[in-house]
Amino acid sequence: MSGAAQSNSNKTKATMSDSTVGSQPLQTQKPAAQLEEDDEFEDFPVENWAKEEEVGAQANNTHLWEESWDDDDTTDDFSMQLKEELKKADSSRKG
Amino acid sequence: MDALWADFATAHQKPDGYLLASTLSPEPPATDPARLYNFNRWTNAYSVQTDLRYKLQYNPALSLDKREASAWLDVFTAYYHFVTKLLAAEEAQTAGRKGEADWTAVFKGWVDVVGALAKGYQNSTFQSWTIPCLYCAAKYLRVLAIKADDQLASQRDSGLAFGGLQEEDAFDPSSQHETLEDAARQINRLFALCIGDRNPIEESRKWALYGLANFLIKTYFKLSSVSLCRNIIRSLRASSDDMPALSQYPMAHQVTFKYYNGVLCFLEEDYPAAEEFLSSAYEMCNKKAMKNIQLILTYLIPTKMMTSHRLPTQEFLSVYPNLERLYGPIREAIRRADLSAFDAALEKGEDEFVKRRVYLTLERGRDIILRNLFRKVFVGGGFETPKEGDTGPPVRRTRVPTKEFATALQLAGADVGDGNGGVDMDEVECLIANSIYKNFMKGYIARDRGIVVLSKAGAFPGTGV
Repeated sequence: MSGAAQSNSNKTKATMSDSTVGSQPLQTQKPAAQLEEDDEFEDFPVENWAKEEEVGAQANNTHLWEESWDDDDTTDDFSMQLKEELKKADSSRKG
Repeated sequence: MDALWADFATAHQKPDGYLLASTLSPEPPATDPARLYNFNRWTNAYSVQTDLRYKLQYNPALSLDKREASAWLDVFTAYYHFVTKLLAAEEAQTAGRKGEADWTAVFKGWVDVVGALAKGYQNSTFQSWTIPCLYCAAKYLRVLAIKADDQLASQRDSGLAFGGLQEEDAFDPSSQHETLEDAARQINRLFALCIGDRNPIEESRKWALYGLANFLIKTYFKLSSVSLCRNIIRSLRASSDDMPALSQYPMAHQVTFKYYNGVLCFLEEDYPAAEEFLSSAYEMCNKKAMKNIQLILTYLIPTKMMTSHRLPTQEFLSVYPNLERLYGPIREAIRRADLSAFDAALEKGEDEFVKRRVYLTLERGRDIILRNLFRKVFVGGGFETPKEGDTGPPVRRTRVPTKEFATALQLAGADVGDGNGGVDMDEVECLIANSIYKNFMKGYIARDRGIVVLSKAGAFPGTGV
């Protein structure tokens, strides 16, 4: 529910800013330039760099990726909740 | 003014192609900020040819042969007229008379400079060390075309242009990038000029190919003609036998090319290839180019989700605030196997995800959540009671009631209700069947017994159980 409300307000915002741009044609150049700025791959200021300048050569460049699941811990919130629910279902079936 | 000619002479003596290119740039060097202004005042439209000839042909600091001098004379004559237009446009702009700044004329002036340059290469008057001039040509074709198109668009919006025809034009999407399309054609011409070069490799213009291809692809991206990018990559591949390996080109050209290639593969859903290009671009990228690193990761993160179901660690993501904002909530939702949080994150970021063309890929993260969710049920189910005489390691319970999966789905916020407060078991079975079909889970549904029988040897491939 709250998700839907949020997206609605986003949409209104978007249309509103659109119409402000439209009514002030003198400013249209600016948003366009900004859009480019944050979208496009920039030209590198230099053509070449040494190995130690590479991202991959940085000391802190480890442990970047991890598995998408939590470890095999069965005591996380969700697992505990699941256990609870299953117990409930079980007892109601028996009862 | 002397600084320009001093640079031009030094560039020839060294030789230094980048210094040479700087003498033709629409942007003055930081060391000589008034260069364009002074160049423009140094001569006038009537005596420009004579004055230039004096500098180029009879300059003791230069020893250009006649053909070369005359080719540069054409380039600098065009450049002079271009600078005049550029300064006029910039002046109008700073004086607040934006409407009078004629960026289309500026663009056309630059096309003339590029045309004169191209002629010098066509008959191989300009040697291959001068190719940075081609990068400069291509770079500003793009930049100036975008400026011209922006101006045309704002004139259209305010109804200044095209009188009675404006409505028709305003709704014709193809005319939005008119100038940029022209720029793409011009850059493509330069590209053709280099790919067809028959000179031996050490003196070949082929060294400009990746640099120019990058400008071209960048332009096609902006024009949303991704298929034209493929053409460029195809023609590079076709002539790869006659050109140096990508690894011999400047780092900047390699990283940029790999980035665009990676994004193209990503858009074509060839994720393994995308991962190779993007990982390599990331590793080789200059550590100071923060924006480019973030752009590479914008595509590498969803790519890794598809190829190995791996996510960036929290500490990695927190280095890049933009990426954390973009992907943090999705990452969290997947890790926690929380479907409603995932849907909320996807919906909240929708506009930006769509703009960056990652939405459809991210959506497939749902499969990973379902896998993680089913995996939790499996792990939570514990182990079979060992049979008498059983000495092997404990075996996990592999016969799991379908109802347990249903409960997990409900808890995680999946849409499996039957509308009457109960669970739609068909829907649950469908989700399980999908997961099995997509190889996230190994086993089968025993419908009549209401259980899912999972494989004893790796029920969730690649996840350790």
